[in-house]
Amino acid sequence: MIRKELVAASAEPLILSLLAKDESYGYAIIQEVKARSDGKLEWTDGMLYPVLHRMEHRGLIKSRWGESETGRKRKYYSLKKDGKTAMATHHEQWSLVHSVLAGLRKE
Amino acid sequence: MFDLEQSIADWRRQMLAAGIKTPVPLEELEIHLREDIAQQMKTGSNQQDAFTSAVQKLGSAHTVQTEFMKVDKTHSALKWKLMEIGLTLATILVPLLFGGIVLKRASFIDMTVAEELSSLAALAAFSLLAWSGRLGHRLLPVIQNKRIRDAIRFSCCVPLPLWWIVFLNFIVPRHDFTMGEFLVAFTWAFFTPVGACIGLNWGIETAARKEIERPDVSASQS
Repeated sequence: MIRKELVAASAEPLILSLLAKDESYGYAIIQEVKARSDGKLEWTDGMLYPVLHRMEHRGLIKSRWGESETGRKRKYYSLKKDGKTAMATHHEQWSLVHSVLAGLRKE
Repeated sequence: MFDLEQSIADWRRQMLAAGIKTPVPLEELEIHLREDIAQQMKTGSNQQDAFTSAVQKLGSAHTVQTEFMKVDKTHSALKWKLMEIGLTLATILVPLLFGGIVLKRASFIDMTVAEELSSLAALAAFSLLAWSGRLGHRLLPVIQNKRIRDAIRFSCCVPLPLWWIVFLNFIVPRHDFTMGEFLVAFTWAFFTPVGACIGLNWGIETAARKEIERPDVSASQS
């Protein structure tokens, strides 16, 4: 299991990167993160929504109501321009941390 | 016999009781809950187990609501910051603009120096009253209840236009003002009460917000 603090810190870059591929909705975002991390990165489902709403208030993402193929109502989120910039910054910072860690490990 | 709709209705009531707002975000959470139940049932869970597990995964109403409150707070802090910038600009630019007009037009409408100074003093009083509230917020009571603060704002704003109507319709016609005298009376009657009103509300709002910010230093997460 990954530590709580790291899960919280990685939520925004992960959401941004997922939405950069295509628009998505809460349930699918959680499922995809879970699948990509082999179930090791697990969020409390309800906690995703305050994060999404905060990102929307900050102008990083936008939302629209839509319907699934089966007619189920869904709220879809997609990336805005500021979100792309924020994502680039996140990637830069996380890569830096990763390369420092990897470098130290090799020594 | 387990009744899914009844259980979801009970869950909704619990969420509402914890303060989760409807329709958004409660509706969004309910959609998530239903989606999770449907997915679990597809993989063989029975309705009751799927419901229990989905509710558990969603987290307690209280924890989710605490997170949503943080979002509201950041949002309202941002709005308040913009409001403060607006108020700062208004309390500086309005007196400068109007003061400029008074100085420029003084000779056209035969204003005496005393009238000119009095008009400018009224404009200065407007800014000073507004800023004294902002800077002296420590002297004002801390009112945490937003409704009471809104009520104070409302009770300040409503009498202002009434007073202006009285001033223009009843006071001005009873006096044979020269243009200069009228301008003096006008600046005192219009700007000073507005300044006092802005000051009082600016101060009360600042006092309440500083009090909210204080115990919450560790909770900044964005």
